[in-house]
Amino acid sequence: MWPNIQYYCPCLSSANALTPPPPILASSSASFHSLHNLYFCEECDAVRCNRCVSVEVSGYYCPNCLFEVPSASVRAEKNRCARNCFSCPICRATLSVVASDPPDDGTGRPITPLNNVGEGPYLLYCNYCRWDSTEVGITFEKPTGLAGTRWLVHFVSNAYIRVVAIDLSSTAQLQKYEDSAPESLEFERLKEHFEPFLRTSSLSSSTHLLPPTSHHLHTSSATAAASAALSRDIPGISKYNPLSRSRSGRDRTANKDEMAEYKSRVEVGLFGQLGSGGDDADVELLRCTETVGEIAKLEQRWGNSWITSLRMSELRPLRIPLHSKVSKRCPACRHILIKPEQKAQSVRYKIKLAAANYLPALSVGFPQTQAAKRALGKGVEPRNVGVMLAGITNNTFRVALTNPLYDPIQVRLSPQRVTDGRGFQVSLPLTPFSIGAFAEAWEYDDDEDMFGVEDDELGLEVGRGSRDKDARGRTKNVGVLERRANVTVVGGEVNVHRSYRGQVKFNMLVSYTYRSDDPLPSEDGAGTPSRAVVKTPEVKTFSFYTVVDLGPVLSKDDSESR
Amino acid sequence: MDTPIYYSKTEFIETDTGNKVSRRATIAGPQNIILGGKTIISSGAIIRGDLRRTGPGHAVVISLGRYCLVGEGCVIRPPYKTYRGNFNYYPMKIGDHVHIGANTVVEAATIGNHVVIGKNCIIGKFTIIKDCAQVADNTVIPPNTVVPALALFSGSPGRFVEDLPESTQELVESQTKHYYTRFQPLDR
Repeated sequence: MWPNIQYYCPCLSSANALTPPPPILASSSASFHSLHNLYFCEECDAVRCNRCVSVEVSGYYCPNCLFEVPSASVRAEKNRCARNCFSCPICRATLSVVASDPPDDGTGRPITPLNNVGEGPYLLYCNYCRWDSTEVGITFEKPTGLAGTRWLVHFVSNAYIRVVAIDLSSTAQLQKYEDSAPESLEFERLKEHFEPFLRTSSLSSSTHLLPPTSHHLHTSSATAAASAALSRDIPGISKYNPLSRSRSGRDRTANKDEMAEYKSRVEVGLFGQLGSGGDDADVELLRCTETVGEIAKLEQRWGNSWITSLRMSELRPLRIPLHSKVSKRCPACRHILIKPEQKAQSVRYKIKLAAANYLPALSVGFPQTQAAKRALGKGVEPRNVGVMLAGITNNTFRVALTNPLYDPIQVRLSPQRVTDGRGFQVSLPLTPFSIGAFAEAWEYDDDEDMFGVEDDELGLEVGRGSRDKDARGRTKNVGVLERRANVTVVGGEVNVHRSYRGQVKFNMLVSYTYRSDDPLPSEDGAGTPSRAVVKTPEVKTFSFYTVVDLGPVLSKDDSESR
Repeated sequence: MDTPIYYSKTEFIETDTGNKVSRRATIAGPQNIILGGKTIISSGAIIRGDLRRTGPGHAVVISLGRYCLVGEGCVIRPPYKTYRGNFNYYPMKIGDHVHIGANTVVEAATIGNHVVIGKNCIIGKFTIIKDCAQVADNTVIPPNTVVPALALFSGSPGRFVEDLPESTQELVESQTKHYYTRFQPLDR
């Protein structure tokens, strides 16, 4: 949607470039983010985005029952919820446990089973598509709920499912089934086979290779070994540590000799038959298929851990995959930018260095005209308000800047010139202007009773401004238009060339000077950078790029025809 | 920016606590409904405070927090079920800074704070929506679904799409406050 302003994160550009790509390129959108998606590293004094931060898992939870799963059991439970959370194999909605004979409401019509009250056996029921687990022969003798409850699971015999009647604890009988899949067993065997090798190689590599990278927390033995192996095999990676390279070369030969030969559990040919029925069976199935609906869609199958049947009718309920809370670090200095609270459903953070708390928030809009106001009053959406018109010299727009800092700042806007002469020119106030300090008191006033008054004043002012313009033709459109609390509104103009069609979109460098937290008041008058406008002990300047999108250009005829 | 959203002064009733309720909204059983203050009920909305739990005494059926918006044509209706042979309605609690888009039907059990629900959605019975979650336009959330905190749900049935940014809470809070200030009467 336009008009909007997005902020630039330089992480995708190469080496020296602080300058963002030209906004006309479609690919430039990858470098621009909305302010609330960005982080700010105090150490590096730089903007960071979700693309460049390094992410660490700080906790796992089930998105359905919201149980916080200890990381120790995450691996054992194969990253899925081991409680009573299942998703429908057909539509992925959450399944409910219901009694097979829901209490009759006396009207004779079947009522939608919604809870587990009633007589067993119990089954999983999809409230969305009405799939239920009897379709694949899964029923339970007892409903869920109590941790100690033991479920009896019957996998009814059919062509592909073996008869199992297992009495298991409620920790996921479905997981048990998954674990008994041949692929799973094979994977376990492989892990077992490589475990001693991984341990020795991680030990040997940790002696000389890990120290420089040891700040990567949560490196398991497997990933440590993998990184060691990678740096061993690719000379470019180990280049920064030539000492280790020569040594690890010896390791490689040694390890190779130690490796025992691995024998797979089953022959490759047999393997397919154990899972879904094998290639031949799949071909046979497809040959007999009459409608597309019989075959499970890719979307329904790719969430499975192991190979499942192609038939829609044989898909089984899935345990819900766990979600994670993550903490985020600066990619350069490894300082923490985001650290969530331990509790899974808490939305608070122990550390949150959001860019919105450091950079002034810019928002762009178009001034309101009387006509637009009338139209709004009538409930008509004024479509052509603020649309850029080609061949017109004073398309006005406004930029509101909000200061999040507790000190006033000086801001300077420098829109980048669009190189093409037949495009558009942007005029904005180029001299620095100030924005008042953010004070909690302002917010407090806003919150309580100041709002109505303030807004009325604002409405009047806006109205007057546009009236002046109507009467006297051209008034001051470029420059600081309004100052209140920690917001300053500046006006700008766009001259669009007659032949220009497309988006009015330009990069803008925003520099602001702020008083640094470091200096003491006694340092007043000490050698400060002369470019600082305000004579404060120490001021710092920070610059960032933004892209301003004012929307598409319409020709005059287009807008009149509306 | 500060473009006001005008409404006709005669259409809305403003309470002492700043709630703005459209005269064209259907508010059934108002004695069972709590509005936290500065909450806007748009025209055509239906709030069923009359569907209360059976039994004597006063019962809060629907409670909305501060700075909420119930969009045009929304239906807010408490969830019901038959439990141990008794049919009953269950109360619905909606937190602060919750925006519900136009023509959405809500039968949730709990909606947390700073939740944004889009237009034309159906929020099924006994759904639990945690803090700072968002539901995209035209989403159908089946009954008994849990929408975890800071998750965006979309589609039919509604499914998890992505995690929302860490600053969602501040963002939604300023948006809802801003919306309330922009919502201005117009005399004619």
